[in-house]
Amino acid sequence: MNPPDSDHDALTARLHALPAERVPPARVWQAIAAQLPAQSAAPSPAATVSTLSTRRRRGRWPLRVGLGLAAALALLMVVPTPVPNTPAPSLLQRQADAMAGEYQQAIAALPNAEVTEEWRPALHELDASADTIRAAIAENPRSRYLLGQLQRTYALRLELTQQAVLSTGLPT
Amino acid sequence: MRIPLSLIAALALCLPLVAQAATSINERHPLGAGGRVEISNIAGKVTVRGWDRSDVALTGSLADGLTLKQDKSSNRVRWEVEYPRGRSNGGATLELRVPRSVEVQLGTISADIDVADIDVRRLQANSVSGSITAAGRSGETTLNTVSGGIRSQLQTARLEARTVSGQLLAGGGASGEVAAESVSGRVNVNAGRIQRLAVETVSGSLDVSATGMAPGGKVTMQTVSGSVALKLPVNVSAQLNVKTFSGGIQSDAGQVEKPRYGPGSSLDARLGAGDGDISINSHSGSVRVSLGR
Repeated sequence: MNPPDSDHDALTARLHALPAERVPPARVWQAIAAQLPAQSAAPSPAATVSTLSTRRRRGRWPLRVGLGLAAALALLMVVPTPVPNTPAPSLLQRQADAMAGEYQQAIAALPNAEVTEEWRPALHELDASADTIRAAIAENPRSRYLLGQLQRTYALRLELTQQAVLSTGLPT
Repeated sequence: MRIPLSLIAALALCLPLVAQAATSINERHPLGAGGRVEISNIAGKVTVRGWDRSDVALTGSLADGLTLKQDKSSNRVRWEVEYPRGRSNGGATLELRVPRSVEVQLGTISADIDVADIDVRRLQANSVSGSITAAGRSGETTLNTVSGGIRSQLQTARLEARTVSGQLLAGGGASGEVAAESVSGRVNVNAGRIQRLAVETVSGSLDVSATGMAPGGKVTMQTVSGSVALKLPVNVSAQLNVKTFSGGIQSDAGQVEKPRYGPGSSLDARLGAGDGDISINSHSGSVRVSLGR
């Protein structure tokens, strides 16, 4: 049995005797070159190894990004996320929406006539007031008296629009 | 005979004046108690006064091109000023004299309505942009405008007044049942002894006072963004309930309560024996309740 020091020295000497860079045999390069797309100038084997290595590094980035996105998507689909802060409309808001729709239909059913100057400011005022009330309902969706106010405003708007349309034939 | 040229020219100059001259009217019709008189006029002015006779009289003048249409029966008379198509040169100035205990119905577009010294069973006045001023006595009263103001000093047991953007002032002894509505116009009611009082606005302020509440009386005030002021005598007997979403509450009685979380203020208080009901709702307008006189 050799002493340990002599074994270590022998191994070190053999390691140093190995070539600094191992070049694959020529047939390996030929096989690799056949699988690569044709290039204008035939690169040297060393340059090809370097380009391949760079391409592999570069090629890993899209893969990594893709994997990251897929993981994020899976996380979003699997992990329950908080619901956005937009609560469903209350019954009162839905009633207000329905009321607004019916009112608009009723107005649209009236003859299309140009109202006179006496009526116009009040009709604009009523429209602005209806918007104000709807904004208030959005703030306080459980306030039933606001719905009553909206109904009164719409009814008045419809009534005055009818009167204004009827009076368009009158002289000013 | 030769007519001087200057005379012809002078006559020609006078012709438009003759053509534009107002037409005087002077109409009468017997009308007993319970009968109804109706006036319809677009522009100008309508004045109504009471008198101690048993007939109704209409005087005044019509601008050129206007005519007066009449519809009479034993119990009813209707006078309507008819306007030509297109723009007229002016309106009609009418003065109506009415006996006691009749019903009066007035309708205008831009003409102002001025009623005083009446003692009628029922008064109904509607205008679009004209103002309405009313004083005297009326069993039931309805006053409506769109953009014109309403000023009532009527002694009436039942008042309904409604406007969109005009100011609404009701005083002089409106009592019993009072309903006042506005959209953006300010509402000021100075009432007597109230059985039912309902006042609503969208953005107009509400200023209401009453000398008292009948037993079991009810006061309702609602607004979206207008301020609310209610003044009642200190000995009033009612349950007071005030709610606001973002408006402040000040009251001579009761404690304002706010939820631990979220918006809103409310006040519940028993005034006296708590016979009647006072309910005030405001979204963003402030509320002030005073007890004192």
